[in-house]
Amino acid sequence: MNRDRPIRILLVDDEPAIRRALRTPLQELGFHTEEASRGEDALHLIRVQPFDVVLLDINMPGIGGIRTLERLRAFAPRLPILMLTVRDEEEDKVEALELGADDYITKPFSIREVMARVRSAVRRAQTPERPEDAPIRIGKIEVQPARRSVKKAGHPIRLTPKEYDILYYLMAHAGRAVTYGKLLSSVWGAQYREEVDYLRTFVRQLRKKIEDDPSNPVYLVTDACVGYRFNEEIPRIRRDDPHTGELYLPVT
Amino acid sequence: MLDSHLPDARLPHRQPINLAEAGRLAAFVQAAAQLDLHTKPGPQLASLIHSIFEAEAVAIFDADLNQTYLAGEWFADPEQSVRNICVFETVRDDPETGVIRRVLRVREMPIGALQLRGEITPSTSSTIATLIAITFDRYHSLANEMRMESAKKTEQLRTTVLDSLAHAYKTPLTAIRAASSGLVEMGHLSAAQGELVALIDEQTELLNQLTTRLLRTARVDAQALNMERVAIAPMIDDVVAAARGQLGEVQVKVSVARENLSILCDRSLLQAMLMQFVDNAAKYADVGTTVTITATELSSAVVLSVHNRGPAIPATDHERLFDRYFRSSGAVSRASGTGIGLSVAKQAALAHGGDVWVTSDARRGTTFFASLPAAPPGVQA
Repeated sequence: MNRDRPIRILLVDDEPAIRRALRTPLQELGFHTEEASRGEDALHLIRVQPFDVVLLDINMPGIGGIRTLERLRAFAPRLPILMLTVRDEEEDKVEALELGADDYITKPFSIREVMARVRSAVRRAQTPERPEDAPIRIGKIEVQPARRSVKKAGHPIRLTPKEYDILYYLMAHAGRAVTYGKLLSSVWGAQYREEVDYLRTFVRQLRKKIEDDPSNPVYLVTDACVGYRFNEEIPRIRRDDPHTGELYLPVT
Repeated sequence: MLDSHLPDARLPHRQPINLAEAGRLAAFVQAAAQLDLHTKPGPQLASLIHSIFEAEAVAIFDADLNQTYLAGEWFADPEQSVRNICVFETVRDDPETGVIRRVLRVREMPIGALQLRGEITPSTSSTIATLIAITFDRYHSLANEMRMESAKKTEQLRTTVLDSLAHAYKTPLTAIRAASSGLVEMGHLSAAQGELVALIDEQTELLNQLTTRLLRTARVDAQALNMERVAIAPMIDDVVAAARGQLGEVQVKVSVARENLSILCDRSLLQAMLMQFVDNAAKYADVGTTVTITATELSSAVVLSVHNRGPAIPATDHERLFDRYFRSSGAVSRASGTGIGLSVAKQAALAHGGDVWVTSDARRGTTFFASLPAAPPGVQA
């Protein structure tokens, strides 16, 4: 990440109060913000100004958040886009994630949460693509794609081929919510998109092998009604919300 | 054909129906069938009998509505006497005065009475009484149906209002939370300022949780059942994941009868139900204790239970706990809540043909149970 210049955020929300409550602290804390109250305006701004990340309200009058996302994506395929949603808009969240949103932030959010998400999305976007077979290590879990092997705290774990595929996909997309549909179609194929119960059973088995306490997972967490998320940083202290990242500390 | 004009009480079934009376009876059947049952049929029936059978006086008592309908001319007020027929079940015809008495019955149960004065044979009188009883029964079931329909509409309206209100709250809540947390992030707050900002944060979160619960309730009420086979163990995992916010530091232990236990149910409704139990357990669990979620398999049902250690719920509250807006006296001082959640859990279980109950004492803690039939009514497993 380029530390010399502030992160440029495009803030898209039809509610002036929310833009105001975000703009003031974010600017004070060193971010650069521009605002749009409608999707149409956002699409215009993005063409004339460079941005590092977009915060996009899902529920807006006019073309709305989802259509705006689609058009933004077509124009800027790698630009991080974080959706602002309300807790019970699960279907919209799933649609947004499948249309290429990087993540979502649930209202009401804290500024710390917004900053953590923005930084994490920008960092991911600016990290050069990882070679397909480079090992991934998160917390105590390590996968070696070249050998399709998995270790936990240095000890080999035996996974079935499908369990391995699920784990690899989630770890390769660590920190992001992966919808059931996406995971199913990438591991089993597009015709299995709807077989959520099937997937849940596999994830349960997988958790028994990688989690210390499978009932209280810290690595492979469920993003309720949306999908799964492999935590990027593993909390030492259990947190309410896998989104906040507030007290997340890497396991040593 | 000549018939005795006075009914013979001793030979009620021997009496032949004369042709004229048969024609009148046919006319009465037709008229009764065409009655508009959106209004009480009593007055219309009384006047139909009066006109069609040329009865001198008619009195009908509807026990359900506790009303008497009169037609023609009575010498003495028949109000009390027609009621007495129903209460004492006196079917006695009086040849002297030409007064006929009949109890109106639906499925053996007395639902009213008919008292007549006129030249009508006993068997025709009995048929008239039967027709009145059937008409009353049709009217009451239609009225019930309409009441349920209107209750449903009221419920839908309430749900819509709740839903939009709860949504409207989210915007100011978001602005307040972003502003107060922004103040903290920017720093430079004195201890007192920090304390006040923390208070704003805390209360905003409280309001947010209430709003979320309200939204969830509105959703459950509005739903039609969408039955599918749901694997219990992963479903519990989902609920625990969704309840992380409420659980905080409380640990969860899950115990499922067998790994692939599944049940035919409405997934989101069942999740909402379990969510209420877990949410409740999280609220009342003693600090540092574990909440246990158990799924037990019986021959004809699956029982889900959520146990927590914490204060006992008084036995007198066990039933009412599941009523809308009811909050146990202990609960009011201890945790925030709307008093809606557990009623939602009950509705969800009932919708599946199941039930909910609770056991609670200080020593063993509190356990909420929901039983769900393995094969829900009306659904082929």
